[in-house]
Amino acid sequence: MEDYKYLFKIVLIGEAGVGKTCLVRRFTQGLFPPGQAATIGVDFMIKTVEIEGDKVKLQIWDTAGQEKFRSITQSYYRAAHGLILVYDVCSQRTFDALPQWLTDIDSFANEKVLSYLVGNKIDRGDAREIPTHVGEQFAERYEMKYIETSAKEADNVDKLFLDIASRLTEDARERNRLIPGEDSMNISSNTKSISSCSRCFKF
Amino acid sequence: MACMGCCKAMRPRYKRLVDDIFPVNPEDGLVKNNMDKLTFYALSSPEKLDRIGQYLATKLSRDVARRRISLVKIAMDALDQLLVSCHDYSLNLFVESFLKMVQKLLECDELELQILGTLSFVKFANIEEDTPSYHRRYDFFVSKFSSMCHSCAESENDRSKLIMSTRRIRTAGLKGLQGVVRKTVSDELQVNIWEPVHMDKIVPSLLYNMHDPGFAPVELESPKDDEHPAQVAETVFRDLVCRACFGNLKPVLKPILVHMDNHKLWGPKVFVIRCFKIVMYSVQQQYAYVVVQALMSHLDTHVHDSPEIKAAIVDVLFETVLIAAGASVGPSVLDVFNTLVKHLRISLDNKSSNESIRAEEKKFEEAIVNTIGQFANNLPDYQKIEIMMFVMAKFPQFTPDENYGVQMDSQLQTLLLKTLLKVATKYKTVNMANAFPQEFLLPLLSMSLFDDPAMRIIVQEILHTLIDRHDNTEKLLHVQVFKDISKAGFKVEKVNRPDALFIKKFGMHFYWYLQENIKLNSNRVDNFEALFCTMSLIAIEMNSKETVVELIRLGLDMQNIATNNLSLPMTHKCAIHALVAAFLCFVAQVCDLQQLHQYALEIVENRKTDAPHLLPDFAFNRKNRPASYADPDTVTLAEFQKQDYPQTETLKDTWLFQLDIITNLLSEQGLDLSRLSVPFTQKPFGISEPDGSRSMSDINSINLEFESTEGSPVLPKKRSSEDVTVESLKKMLSEDSTNKEEEEERRREIIHTFRTAPFEEIVARSEAKSNHFHNKLNEILSMVSKGSDSPSTLRRSSTKPATVFDIQFPELYVY
Repeated sequence: MEDYKYLFKIVLIGEAGVGKTCLVRRFTQGLFPPGQAATIGVDFMIKTVEIEGDKVKLQIWDTAGQEKFRSITQSYYRAAHGLILVYDVCSQRTFDALPQWLTDIDSFANEKVLSYLVGNKIDRGDAREIPTHVGEQFAERYEMKYIETSAKEADNVDKLFLDIASRLTEDARERNRLIPGEDSMNISSNTKSISSCSRCFKF
Repeated sequence: MACMGCCKAMRPRYKRLVDDIFPVNPEDGLVKNNMDKLTFYALSSPEKLDRIGQYLATKLSRDVARRRISLVKIAMDALDQLLVSCHDYSLNLFVESFLKMVQKLLECDELELQILGTLSFVKFANIEEDTPSYHRRYDFFVSKFSSMCHSCAESENDRSKLIMSTRRIRTAGLKGLQGVVRKTVSDELQVNIWEPVHMDKIVPSLLYNMHDPGFAPVELESPKDDEHPAQVAETVFRDLVCRACFGNLKPVLKPILVHMDNHKLWGPKVFVIRCFKIVMYSVQQQYAYVVVQALMSHLDTHVHDSPEIKAAIVDVLFETVLIAAGASVGPSVLDVFNTLVKHLRISLDNKSSNESIRAEEKKFEEAIVNTIGQFANNLPDYQKIEIMMFVMAKFPQFTPDENYGVQMDSQLQTLLLKTLLKVATKYKTVNMANAFPQEFLLPLLSMSLFDDPAMRIIVQEILHTLIDRHDNTEKLLHVQVFKDISKAGFKVEKVNRPDALFIKKFGMHFYWYLQENIKLNSNRVDNFEALFCTMSLIAIEMNSKETVVELIRLGLDMQNIATNNLSLPMTHKCAIHALVAAFLCFVAQVCDLQQLHQYALEIVENRKTDAPHLLPDFAFNRKNRPASYADPDTVTLAEFQKQDYPQTETLKDTWLFQLDIITNLLSEQGLDLSRLSVPFTQKPFGISEPDGSRSMSDINSINLEFESTEGSPVLPKKRSSEDVTVESLKKMLSEDSTNKEEEEERRREIIHTFRTAPFEEIVARSEAKSNHFHNKLNEILSMVSKGSDSPSTLRRSSTKPATVFDIQFPELYVY
């Protein structure tokens, strides 16, 4: 039976139109949908990757950036292992909104969540408004990882998700090592539903 | 595959049975016979059930990965059938693999499979399990179903197909959510679905489908489209709300309110009202007030928002209160009213100078007043009076806090009065004494002397609605001489004893305030009409032998005011004369006094020929004014066109009601006329009379006892030396607190009693109760010494010897 060793939930957040859905689709389906409509509520994708021999399943929740869906999207933060905060490097507005998003993360997300700051749309070179070092500094100040991507050109997209997956896997292994005897599933036990028990019944 | 075929014989039996249910050609569907065999095997050896489940699950997940959809369908079908047939303890283990499979299907991006998985889950949700399962979690399902509720199918090119598939996936999501709720609410061991983390997903998903503008139900198709997401969402929503118990209601209500905020649904408010109607009709009756409370606190959070939103919230509140009826108020009655009145004040404090915004604010204020009325409607009657007293306490005159009074403007007072009126109209008077407890009546009467004539009218209207028990008010809205009231269709009932006692006790208060009202220069036509109405209603509702004399006295006193008071304009005087004529004529008929009726008609006839300006038809004719006044309601009487009024103020005796004639007429009726000759104005009613404070119980008892001794000769009264003007009264009103006002009333009463009754009688009474009075005396003295600190007493003591308190009462009560 197809199985996986770890399951992680990743939630993408950020202002409307920064390319969250495109990032997810580039990663999960390998395509760049031109004229992608605004996400309504929350979208869901799944992708299994292999990290150092272990199968890792990523549940990716792609949230709507629009203000009116803010309350429902916030309810998805809590269970997230990884948060990807996306802004558009060609839009100062989306960058300026970041502090507000950080407050939201503080108030709704898990304390130990791994958060990534992503500057998207680097393919539009001349339209760029926020230089790399500004983004980097910002990420550093708030103790986030930073990466710049282009969903259109597939630059750094896989790297972003794989990086998250491997960091989370590493954390999970670390924890397993510290608490021997506990199954690796513990890390995800509060997020995974029924399937968390399935391993026990394996024969 | 070929290899597997060879080893078939060596495989465990359950595996063989499972393999057999899959047909060679996937399109053929489940192999029925073999499925029966599998079911039978599972039932006969339930310990194998979990293995069967796992094996099926493994097969299915492989098929999902390979996108062999028809095989997936077969596997799910088999799982469903096993689930339904195996009601057993072992189901528990089987369920694990079943849910794992559902999750698998939901995770894949194939729309069909997601729907398939959901439908299976819904079937599962409808099964009543007899064994609890402790470790099952539904986080993923809630998240995923909520996500499906927002889904927009995109792969389709055809628009109608797209809408169809969007519909299907959303409907599936909604039903899935319902399934989760069903599965979890009944079992306390299950995960608590009411936690905000779940409700924050479920509730907005339902609401979103109920109002999604791009997806509104197409009315033309079929009005009751059971499969339409909006319909399904509504059903699920009702289901959810009616399952919520007290503690769980808040996590449901909060996301509703937040959703309305986020999607700006307060604007056209139609949906909000519909939504809350659904909530109110679904919620368990005893928790209805929680909804009301939630809306109230939501109003609090929107204090600084635009009046439109606030008005919409209050409108919704109004609707919910309407539905909740008796259950709307909950344990904290005053809190509800306090909050609403607070918002009224905030709105007025921050009123906008912008015309259009102000208009919206007015709507908001209006809505609050209506809602307060609606709340009050749901209260038992005795609480309505309490609420009116509570609202009244918000008036600056009655609040001890000085700074507070300054901020209150007349608009707020008007609104508060309107609120009072709203509550009062909901009150069904049965018994006057209950409708007007002293603590309520006296402040109310003192409010009848407000500066603003429009406010005075509202106070009178409050009195109308409370006094009137037979719906006579409408017929009395205009001052007119009723030649024959039996034709006018008035409903008059014999007055009962408690009411007679009531008017005996408080009649003086009514009459005195009515007289003071008549005197006011700022009166308008409407004011006189309202006063006439009040007087007539008192006559109808409380017409005992004793009162009729006093009512006639009231009429005569008012005539005196019109005749003697030089400061009143001509128009006012004419209006008063006309009013008195109409009133006396009315009283005579209500109390069945034939001679008086004849006399009144006689005078009316006299006036008709010689002095038409003293009749209602003239004096209360709104057309008697210059044409330049566009709005008739805002014109004061003084501004009437005066050319029709006589230039000189001559009043012939034949035009007026004569005291001696009336006395003669009435003495034949066997009425006690001793009071008729004592004008109210000359009674020791003045505020500055020397007096002391008394405890309430005493006053009432004494008052009643001595009222019955009216046969005794009336002592001549000393005319009050200090002139009581309207101005001084107003000053007193604004300075004195309610209690003082009451106390003074009582003091006047007692003084009056002691002056009118014979001394021997007092002595006798006092002696009988001397022990009791001695105890009271100590109280009184301590009260007096305390009371002298207050500003009003200080002021009084400057004009009168302060010793009056110490000396007078010991003398009186020493017996």
